[in-house]
Amino acid sequence: MIKKILDSSAAQWLDDRTHAVQYIRFHLIDYPTPKNLNYMYAFGSIALVVLILQVLTGLFLAMDYKAATLPTGNGFSLAFDSVERIMRDVNSGWLIRYMHAVGASAFFFVIYLHMARGLYYGSYKKPREFLWIMGVMILVIMQATVFFGYLLPWGQMSFWGATVITNIFGAIPVIGDWLLQLVRGGFSVGDPTLGRFFALHFLTPLLLVVVVLWHVMALHVVHSNNPTGVETSEKNIIPFHPYYTVKDLFGIGVFLIVYSYFVFFNPTGNGLIIEVNNFNPANPMHTPGDISPVWYLTPWYEILRSVPDKLLGIIGMGFAYVCLFLLPWLDRSPVRSARYRPVYRMMLIVFFAAIATLGYCGHHPVTPELTLVGRIASVVYFAFFFMLPFVHKFEKTKPLPEDL
Amino acid sequence: MKKIIMSFVLLLAMGGASGLSQAEESVALKSVDISLDRATLQKGLHVFTDVCMGCHSLRYITWKDLMDYPEIGLKREAVDELREDAPLNAPIKTSLSEAEAKENYGIVPPDLSLMARAREGKGAYIYSLLTGFAHDPKGRVEDGNYNIYFPGHRIAMGDPLGWLDHEPEDEQDLKQQARAVASFLTFVSDPHQLERQAIGKWVIIFLIVLTLVLWLLKRAVWSDVEH
Repeated sequence: MIKKILDSSAAQWLDDRTHAVQYIRFHLIDYPTPKNLNYMYAFGSIALVVLILQVLTGLFLAMDYKAATLPTGNGFSLAFDSVERIMRDVNSGWLIRYMHAVGASAFFFVIYLHMARGLYYGSYKKPREFLWIMGVMILVIMQATVFFGYLLPWGQMSFWGATVITNIFGAIPVIGDWLLQLVRGGFSVGDPTLGRFFALHFLTPLLLVVVVLWHVMALHVVHSNNPTGVETSEKNIIPFHPYYTVKDLFGIGVFLIVYSYFVFFNPTGNGLIIEVNNFNPANPMHTPGDISPVWYLTPWYEILRSVPDKLLGIIGMGFAYVCLFLLPWLDRSPVRSARYRPVYRMMLIVFFAAIATLGYCGHHPVTPELTLVGRIASVVYFAFFFMLPFVHKFEKTKPLPEDL
Repeated sequence: MKKIIMSFVLLLAMGGASGLSQAEESVALKSVDISLDRATLQKGLHVFTDVCMGCHSLRYITWKDLMDYPEIGLKREAVDELREDAPLNAPIKTSLSEAEAKENYGIVPPDLSLMARAREGKGAYIYSLLTGFAHDPKGRVEDGNYNIYFPGHRIAMGDPLGWLDHEPEDEQDLKQQARAVASFLTFVSDPHQLERQAIGKWVIIFLIVLTLVLWLLKRAVWSDVEH
């Protein structure tokens, strides 16, 4: 049927004027793919689905949300009230809001797995360096987006999370104070902050969509890597449609089952997706005992917190991102896939464990033990990148297959 | 790849176990059977209007909602009796003014619309708090303001159900009242939760069937590829 539509004279008419059909053929149908891609390769398509869900649910939420901290009595505000109105009175508002909140966590979950796959199979190596860099850019934009978005309900964690994170800007020498006031629109987080964060929460997804499209277009220039990491011969290449459209659809189905479980049966994720304290309205006079960002930001937050000096902590956190950007040039081994790189494979396992540990520490209140664990994990995080340029010198790689 | 995922799960579990032991400093809450059936919710509503509403409001619930939410399903006459001269579409508000509250209790009592979600332990927290009044073992806090489950143990709210020094034969009744009001507040904190779960069951069933079909389709499409 798809073939029929694309071959129709109407499609031909459009194609003569816009190349629309050619684009569809090139990116969604004929795109040549190695035949051995496993299910780890479905997370790219899944992430695209989540992005679309987030844009659509966000659009409907924006129709009823009110970005104003105007007090409405007993500590509540217009913004907080409007979210509760969505949850209670807007038709299916609860569904849209929970889809959006669970979607944010799901997006990061999917993207982290997508990145882990790229790391494992060496998909960041030549000629895919820029693909990886765009991926890290996507991650950074996503993190900015959730940071802006989490302020909007104007709950306790919204307010204090934003206060803590914007404080980071204040520690920058010389321009820090000026920058802090620019970001907040005042001396403290308040109504101007909420207004600009709401506007920015619209802008950054727009950027995200642009970079994601660019990412997909670039992928279709350099083509997909595969679990063996070796170049594939013509006979092992199959077209994207119908093989991977249907395989990815199955992956999307499995994802949607898990996603729906959370949306319908555990929308707050036991405090991981929506923190318990965020059901209290923001109160600038009362600092909660335990302020931590949502789980997907905690690894980077913990690196920041591990350094005793605030400014050095910020530099450390920035450096953690710089390492990710530089990864394609830090790793000098000619072999891509960790399947054939025993040392790199071990390093990667330790690296993943360090990130999980950082995330765990960053999510919990500071104790001397956790601080120590966090510091060790931070060192392990950076050690991974410092070791990479040297590993290939002593690593005995396993023999590579000639073809898939 | 499988091995990696396994070792990952193991590491996470180890981290989780070691972290829990040191984070548990607050008193373990009493367990309670929260049930959102109509009888319990209506009983909880009455405990609320008789006792809690003396000081607390439900700003996100209107009198009309008590008829409109089928889970509560109050008749118009019953709502009229409860609301007295308050408008039908007005939120359920206490008659205690903020000024009076500050004078008598030192603070403005919090709104209870979201209380069952805004505290760790949810409904169990409310139940524990209401049945947690005791004599201060150190004798510092006055009777009626000492609560085992309140952070810091000193609470401005004075024993609303009369739990402290209750007669043994009243215990069951008090526990039932606390359970009912904890259930009611759990319901109003997220009034679409039962509807959500009811719909969710069908969504998941549909998605499982759809995914199975997609799996079969995938197998059929891939049957001509050697891999």
